[in-house]
Amino acid sequence: MHLPKFDYLEPETIRETCQLLKTYQGESMIIAGGSDLIVAMKQRLKTPKYLIGLKKVASLQGIAEENGELIIGPLTTLQDLVDSATVQEKMPLLVQAAREVGSPLIRSIATIGGNLCLDNRCRYYNQSEFWRKANQQCIKAGGRKCLITNKTDRCNATFSSDLAPALIAMEAKVTLNTPESERIISLADFYTADSTKPNQASGGGMFLSKIRIPLPTQSLRGIYHKHRKRQSIDFPIVGLAGTMEFAGGVCQKAQLVLTGVGSGPIIANTAVNKLLGQRLTSELINDCALAAATGIRPYKTDLTTPSYKRKIVQLLVAETIKVLGGISE
Amino acid sequence: MKKIINTVINGKEYELALEQNRTLLEVLREELGFTETKKGCDQGECGACTVLLDGKPVSSCLVLGVNIEGKKVMTIEALATDGRLHPLQEAFINQGAIQCGFCTPGMLLVANALLNNNPHPTQVEIKEAIAGNICRCTGYVKIIEAIETVAQETKTC
Repeated sequence: MHLPKFDYLEPETIRETCQLLKTYQGESMIIAGGSDLIVAMKQRLKTPKYLIGLKKVASLQGIAEENGELIIGPLTTLQDLVDSATVQEKMPLLVQAAREVGSPLIRSIATIGGNLCLDNRCRYYNQSEFWRKANQQCIKAGGRKCLITNKTDRCNATFSSDLAPALIAMEAKVTLNTPESERIISLADFYTADSTKPNQASGGGMFLSKIRIPLPTQSLRGIYHKHRKRQSIDFPIVGLAGTMEFAGGVCQKAQLVLTGVGSGPIIANTAVNKLLGQRLTSELINDCALAAATGIRPYKTDLTTPSYKRKIVQLLVAETIKVLGGISE
Repeated sequence: MKKIINTVINGKEYELALEQNRTLLEVLREELGFTETKKGCDQGECGACTVLLDGKPVSSCLVLGVNIEGKKVMTIEALATDGRLHPLQEAFINQGAIQCGFCTPGMLLVANALLNNNPHPTQVEIKEAIAGNICRCTGYVKIIEAIETVAQETKTC
């Protein structure tokens, strides 16, 4: 499979990048590491006329500590995150999530920005052009119907980033740029829950230039669980990032964020609210796990069924709360 | 339109005029004749096309050729030096870690990168390092044993 033809543009500043995105809006795409986009281009899912490479924009690289935040450039590779002594020390949850992405070969190329901007996936969409031509096109590929639900209302492709739930659980923010403006929003608000344009940068009008994560307190504990078909490489069937903080055995702070079960990252709000201000009991843990499982509406976008995904969510939520609460079986 | 890039492949400097939509794998195999770098799935899942980019193993089918500007590429052709096989290659032969041989270039380069960074890896670390390289013949046991052998030999030296 050869790549389609494109013009490769190499801006040297963020402003220049934004300007190119504006000039060629609808015809251009950003390439970060390329581990997902290059496959999508080979499959003719994406055929941008202009590909904007970021390797020459120096400010998009690196990890720095600044004013109580860890600032990470979106072009930082996942392997660099895993190897960073700073990230290992301050944010083991992020290292854990980064280690779960793809294989070591992918992690040497793939970037944190690319993972946050990962396109939603579906078994009817992420296929070769040949495969897709044998079927009718789904909504995401320009057709009328979602081939999972057989309805025309919306695309149901699944959000599959491993880093987004971990970063949302750590209350990360992102800097978004246009040629005219720069604004900082929470990472949770970056996502649209629209599977055809899963984040605010999907349309090409905006550009994610920084990831900012508040340094966690000593007592905040975090963990990422990923359930997948093959341990070595797959996207999540279900991923769950959890953070919790206790004082005197009472839960002061909690966050549970799911991936692989909806059109965007899903915060298990009902379960989180049940936990806040409470001491952990097996009854409470089971109650939270059930609430998280019944609060999602997954579709069969991979080879697993919605009921299987709900069951896995239930198990992972219970396991996460137990681990973070220091409860052993 | 072609782009001119400068790069170092297997220790030799190259100035290349590349079509912008060529992957590193295509550049290596079709333009430079490094055909021991294998084309497998072409989607970054199998590891057959592994090369070392600035010392790190990557799937060359997922790297744009124009992005190797200023970088150092090592393919399997450079592992044996002065007509002598690398200890990893010897170990793969001696342990029977090769059957059809299609995954072998990728396995060797991944193992080489691992041992360069961590000369005495545990079995878990070896398994993690080769997790992106699929072998459909050997069942991995012999490959892991071969890498362990080299790690052991350097330990006793």
